[in-house]
Amino acid sequence: MSEAAISVSGLRKSYGEHEAVAGIDFEVGVGEVFGFLGPNGAGKTTTIEILEGYRERSDGEVAVLGVDPGQPTREWRARVGLVLQECELDPLLTVREAVALFATFYPAPRPVDATVDLVGLAEKRDERIGSLSGGQKRRVDVAIGLIGDPDLIFLDEPTTGFDPTARREAWTMIEGLKELGKTVFLTTHYMDEAEHLADRVAILREGRIVAEGPMSELGASLGRHTVIGFRLNGGSRTCGRASRRRSTSTAASCGSRPSGRRPTCTACSTSPSGAARRSRTSRCGGRASRTSSST
Amino acid sequence: MSVGGMVLAQTRAAIVVALRTPRTLVFTIAFPLVFLVLFNSIFVHGGESVTLPTGLKLSAQSYFTAGIVAYSVALSTFTTLAVTVTTQRERGQLKRLRGTPMPAWTFIVAQVLRATVQALMMTLLLVGIGMLAYGVEFPGASFFGFLVYAALGTGVLCTLGIALTPFTPTVDAASTIAPFSVVMLAFISGVWIPIDQLPHWLEQVGRVFPLFHLSIGLQSTLSPEASGTGLEAGNVAVLLVWAALGAWVAGRRFRWEPLAGVD
Repeated sequence: MSEAAISVSGLRKSYGEHEAVAGIDFEVGVGEVFGFLGPNGAGKTTTIEILEGYRERSDGEVAVLGVDPGQPTREWRARVGLVLQECELDPLLTVREAVALFATFYPAPRPVDATVDLVGLAEKRDERIGSLSGGQKRRVDVAIGLIGDPDLIFLDEPTTGFDPTARREAWTMIEGLKELGKTVFLTTHYMDEAEHLADRVAILREGRIVAEGPMSELGASLGRHTVIGFRLNGGSRTCGRASRRRSTSTAASCGSRPSGRRPTCTACSTSPSGAARRSRTSRCGGRASRTSSST
Repeated sequence: MSVGGMVLAQTRAAIVVALRTPRTLVFTIAFPLVFLVLFNSIFVHGGESVTLPTGLKLSAQSYFTAGIVAYSVALSTFTTLAVTVTTQRERGQLKRLRGTPMPAWTFIVAQVLRATVQALMMTLLLVGIGMLAYGVEFPGASFFGFLVYAALGTGVLCTLGIALTPFTPTVDAASTIAPFSVVMLAFISGVWIPIDQLPHWLEQVGRVFPLFHLSIGLQSTLSPEASGTGLEAGNVAVLLVWAALGAWVAGRRFRWEPLAGVD
């Protein structure tokens, strides 16, 4: 087995004229928590879906656990755990029923009850998934991502739409994955989430990696004027599907997203006009706008 | 776990979900039972008979019982599969399943098994009521023929239910198109209205579709004039052609990822 859990070089993905991923390179080491950060439309989901084996790439070399995810095998699937962004489990099954069902798909699953306990849902074990809160549903997703006892787990925006308490609880849970020795590939558009959880991050913007390294070193490499602003324009906690991936061009606009349900990242930029962006964000940003600047 | 175990686990989950869905209980279980009682109470006064296109005659009660079995099989298979598979696809559940080592076909088999169990239970229930309350009898070896038609109909309509899903981009579309097409076809397939009362051209339209051949097939087996099992090559052939067509379309067009929100 090679040393890197994931290695990507020259990865490109085009949808017609639009280049969603415009040639990126990175490596994720075994046992590392790697944060993939960027605004909506930057190409995060396209990239993670290529790594997960859902999407074909236009060009480049990709190896995930030593296997080309463009040719996924059952053995490889058994070693990769997924927590998808746009996924709802059957609301009529109980937590335990859903996790036990997925356990049957894997050659060497983790124990069902212990996995439900691990994500903090011991008391909700026999509740139907439809009766859970958004944060609790996301934990069921994580339990299902873990049930096959994978070596590598993909978490695609695991805390989007969470309230602050639920987010912190989710962070504790993700830290627990690291203690289990799993390699974690995490996408997020929350700066603080990446800072808190990730050993190393890559920041993606318009399909290119604009910065990469440990969070503590990133400020220096990007210069004094880096501004990364985020806006929440909806309070929904559901992980329901939204059409956000369709319209990458609106990622930096102030208008509401087609779905209006998801938090959006207004800018992720190395431009020097930090003050201007800040004021725009607070002017048209929604209920919760937050601007952080690293120097 | 073995693939057999995966099929069983998914079938069990599908049955659990169906039993917890009020819509299933009302539309696919209560409706056919209510229709059976209503049709036999409203339209049958005693002694009426219906003549099938082949010239076979049978009592109106046997006629309606067999027709409603056909309708019920369509609801249990075609309608529920179109709706549940579309729902699961649009929720992202199918995409999630594709990300596991589970072979995709085990999902389809489990869904078909769930529909088959439901169709079989409903058929036995409706036939049981027909025998007890409406004097339905199986002449000679016709029970075998009846079961063959019910099984064929289940297979064809399961296939078509799955084949419909690539064309239903939303759950609303599936839960409108599927039941509506069953009701429309029921009118021209001898389910609601005795086939000998339909204008000739409507009967010819009905003949194109599988529900007609399932309904008329089941009804033929209950005719005291039917010979042997009551199976007719024409009905069986049309059902098989539709099964092949459905399998072809499903094989080419079936989608695992949500149709809405695709890049």
